[in-house]
Amino acid sequence: MSIEYAPLAADADVVLGEVAGMIREVLEEYEPEDLEIGMATRFGEDLEFESIDLVAMADHLNARYGEVVNFAEYLASMELDEIIELSVGQLVEYIVACLRAVEGG
Amino acid sequence: MAKFLANGVRHHVQRLPARQDSPGPAPVVVFVHGVFIDTLASFYFTLAPAFAAAGCEVITYDLRGHGKSERPPSGYRIDDFVTDLDALLDEMGVTAPVHLVGNSFGGTVAFGHAVRRPDRVASLTVIESGPATRAWTEIMAGALYKVTVEPDQAMAWFTTEFGRTVANLTPPQQAHLERLARAATRLMETTSIVLDIPTSTTVDDEALRAVRTPVLLLVGGGGLVSDETDRLQALLPRSRTVVMPGYKHAVLVEAPHQVGEATLAWIREQHAAATPAPEEVETG
Repeated sequence: MSIEYAPLAADADVVLGEVAGMIREVLEEYEPEDLEIGMATRFGEDLEFESIDLVAMADHLNARYGEVVNFAEYLASMELDEIIELSVGQLVEYIVACLRAVEGG
Repeated sequence: MAKFLANGVRHHVQRLPARQDSPGPAPVVVFVHGVFIDTLASFYFTLAPAFAAAGCEVITYDLRGHGKSERPPSGYRIDDFVTDLDALLDEMGVTAPVHLVGNSFGGTVAFGHAVRRPDRVASLTVIESGPATRAWTEIMAGALYKVTVEPDQAMAWFTTEFGRTVANLTPPQQAHLERLARAATRLMETTSIVLDIPTSTTVDDEALRAVRTPVLLLVGGGGLVSDETDRLQALLPRSRTVVMPGYKHAVLVEAPHQVGEATLAWIREQHAAATPAPEEVETG
């Protein structure tokens, strides 16, 4: 099921809500119990994301934000430990920065 | 998430279009990941974005049983994976010869494809890998035997064995490895993969001498295949070896920039050699 989105906004609270929705879609097949997803939530340790789940996440991000947000390139710039320990907040901040760059440009 | 039905199995595919124009057709690069704990993520988050940015059409996919591809109960011999790859290229409408880049087991699949369909493979890059020789099947049989006699120890065995392939294993990586080992255990418990891999059809020396495809052998200094590499280079008529000192079998994830630079330079060289210069096209 696809999600209906409002127009793009470079607002951390809005982006967090959108990202949390995408995470729930990615994890749907694992039937997780009630998930608390906040800025401090970590993809690996807290959400039990495997690396292939981050690829699924990239698909959702691409569908929502298009080429403005290049998640694959963002992760490719990191060390392996940083990818494993990535938090939802880091991703939200990256997305907000990308959206602001487009607004400003 | 793009899925393609190839050889009766639904495969998860990720394509990254070339983000830079090149004179003439862009090289098509297909990344093939390793077995058990691996998925296309190993390439998607390392080499793939840089290759797309450098003007390559990038294709990467999850092997059957892995990642987000379907996990059929049987059909895990090298030949099955080669048929999957061949059918996948058909399904995606890829007609130009491709540059195959395979990591570990993925390199063995890529080798199999170059042997079966030399017309379809412009170049081969194998990272810590080699063809499915008789020696290879014996090593795989030996490694997987422990899993067949003690299936309840499979996960512990995986984390230990794969932990040894990494030169510098950090605590976050150890935790991640345990998550990946769970996926590997699911694959071994629900399919015939452990029995199938060691009974794959083998490639003999004569077949290797006949491989006309240019091959780059990329090996970690302390990896699993360094002993075999000299022999392999002597057999293959058009091959080159690059050694990455200080790294082991997991060189792709530990040194993605070095692996990427060596691989991209090799593919550019092979692509240029196989593509007529623009002037020749105009005057011809």
